[in-house]
Amino acid sequence: MEYVFHIAIMLNIYIMLVLSANLTTGMANLLTMCQAAFYGIGAYIGTFFLMQFHCPLVVIIAVVSLVTGLFSFVVSYASVKLKGDYFVLASMGFQLIVYTILYNWIPVTRGPYGIPGIPGIRLFGIWELSGVYAYFALSLVLAVVAILLFNNLHDSPYGRTLRAIKADELMVQSMGRNTLAAKAWAFFISAAVAGVAGVVYAAYVSYIDPTSFTLNESIFIISALFIGGIGNVKGPVFGALFVVLLPELLRFVGLPDAVAANLRQVIYGLSLILVVYFRPQGLFGKMVLK
Amino acid sequence: MLLEIKDIKMSFTSAHNETFNLLKGVDLGVEAGRITALVGGNGAGKTTLFNIITGFEKGYSGDVIFEGNNLNKISPHKISLMGIGRLFQGGQLLEGLTLMENMKVASDDETGERPFESLLKARKVKQKEVAKEAQARAVLERIFGTDSKYLQMLDTEASAFSYGEQRLLSLARLLMGGDRLLLLDEPTSGVNPVYIATIERIIREMVEKEGITVLLIEHNMQFVRKIADTCAYLDDGVISKVGPTAEVLDDKSVRNSYLGL
Repeated sequence: MEYVFHIAIMLNIYIMLVLSANLTTGMANLLTMCQAAFYGIGAYIGTFFLMQFHCPLVVIIAVVSLVTGLFSFVVSYASVKLKGDYFVLASMGFQLIVYTILYNWIPVTRGPYGIPGIPGIRLFGIWELSGVYAYFALSLVLAVVAILLFNNLHDSPYGRTLRAIKADELMVQSMGRNTLAAKAWAFFISAAVAGVAGVVYAAYVSYIDPTSFTLNESIFIISALFIGGIGNVKGPVFGALFVVLLPELLRFVGLPDAVAANLRQVIYGLSLILVVYFRPQGLFGKMVLK
Repeated sequence: MLLEIKDIKMSFTSAHNETFNLLKGVDLGVEAGRITALVGGNGAGKTTLFNIITGFEKGYSGDVIFEGNNLNKISPHKISLMGIGRLFQGGQLLEGLTLMENMKVASDDETGERPFESLLKARKVKQKEVAKEAQARAVLERIFGTDSKYLQMLDTEASAFSYGEQRLLSLARLLMGGDRLLLLDEPTSGVNPVYIATIERIIREMVEKEGITVLLIEHNMQFVRKIADTCAYLDDGVISKVGPTAEVLDDKSVRNSYLGL
């Protein structure tokens, strides 16, 4: 039973990650390849505060959201100066820089040795969460909050402005809208939610190292988004379901682990190609990336 | 003058380090409450001049004065908020948005457009949204009549409208911004004669009923002759002729160099 709850926790974490990627990539048309960097920043910042100050849940979420969100300004500044493919490359550069720092700043991050023994998040500052059931409940609540939050953003006048920017940014500027501010907020919220997913992951597994926050992870998150669909909330949720549940389903086929791991990559790749070719808006998506 | 363009100079440097002077000192005054046409050959710099006025082009010298305010170094969205609207060349409705969303996004009221505003001030945002919807309906009724089919198509996605319809609706959308000056870049381009007549009517109503000033770029000389009070001819980087439309278009040098007559 614990196995099922473990999968559910990872699913909830990926729902937050893919939804956060959807705000920038799906709604504002800014394809970012650095969601895992924000996920990692959130995990490491959260770990620091959990280990040093044993912060309660509300405080840890607020601090991680704010700090991770502030890091997003590096990427949003790049989006002002760089467009299209150049911006994608810049976001990849940010991802690689964050990974390199996490890997090599050993006195602070312990680099490849990772950080073990991360204490659990304290609910109301008293009860320390531990075990799959507690983290399932926490991750479920946060995933539902993320779904409601992004649903509200999508349907709000702010979401409308982002979708308008996606269609024609210059035209939206000529209508008196500060598109740079709108995009900077999108990056901030996206990074903050990815950061919260990071701290939940860190507290749940009680060990982090940089290999969980690589460029591959960012590509994985974006792939989930494209498979599920961009521009709405249903698509990213389905994308997270697909990428988290697929490897688990392969376990029941009875293939050897080495074959199953490779087959999983093949299925991901093939799914992405088929979706992009036959249904560019994704299986449940609303829009096509321009 | 509502808008004054003073000694605008702009040059480009090619990849081979050759300098090309596109605008060599453009001077133009746009009178309030009138329709001014800016004509000239392809590549003369008309759209570049629009980009300069609306803040999208910054690498120029000279001054752009709107209602006494110098627009140099002001960002495009702030220029728009000062009361200058623009119809882009080939500009259509925003894809992926419905007609109503297109109208609302052009409103001069930005309430609710900051993230979380719709969560934190739900009631106020809802009221404003209702007001914007009413404004959008009123604009469409005023332009297309109370029995217009567009009033029944407010939730229709932009892509469902034809090119000509999108051009008409883009013009109508400009009225949501409460602008005092509209820059229209080739409003009749690619539009059939029936819609051209409607565009003419819409522009006239904007000027006569709403008191808006219009500066337009147009290659359709018949349309310019019918609609524009004043015409300015941009040639070789300067306004070489400006005056009443018929006078400019009938000028021998203009006919020679631009119309090839």
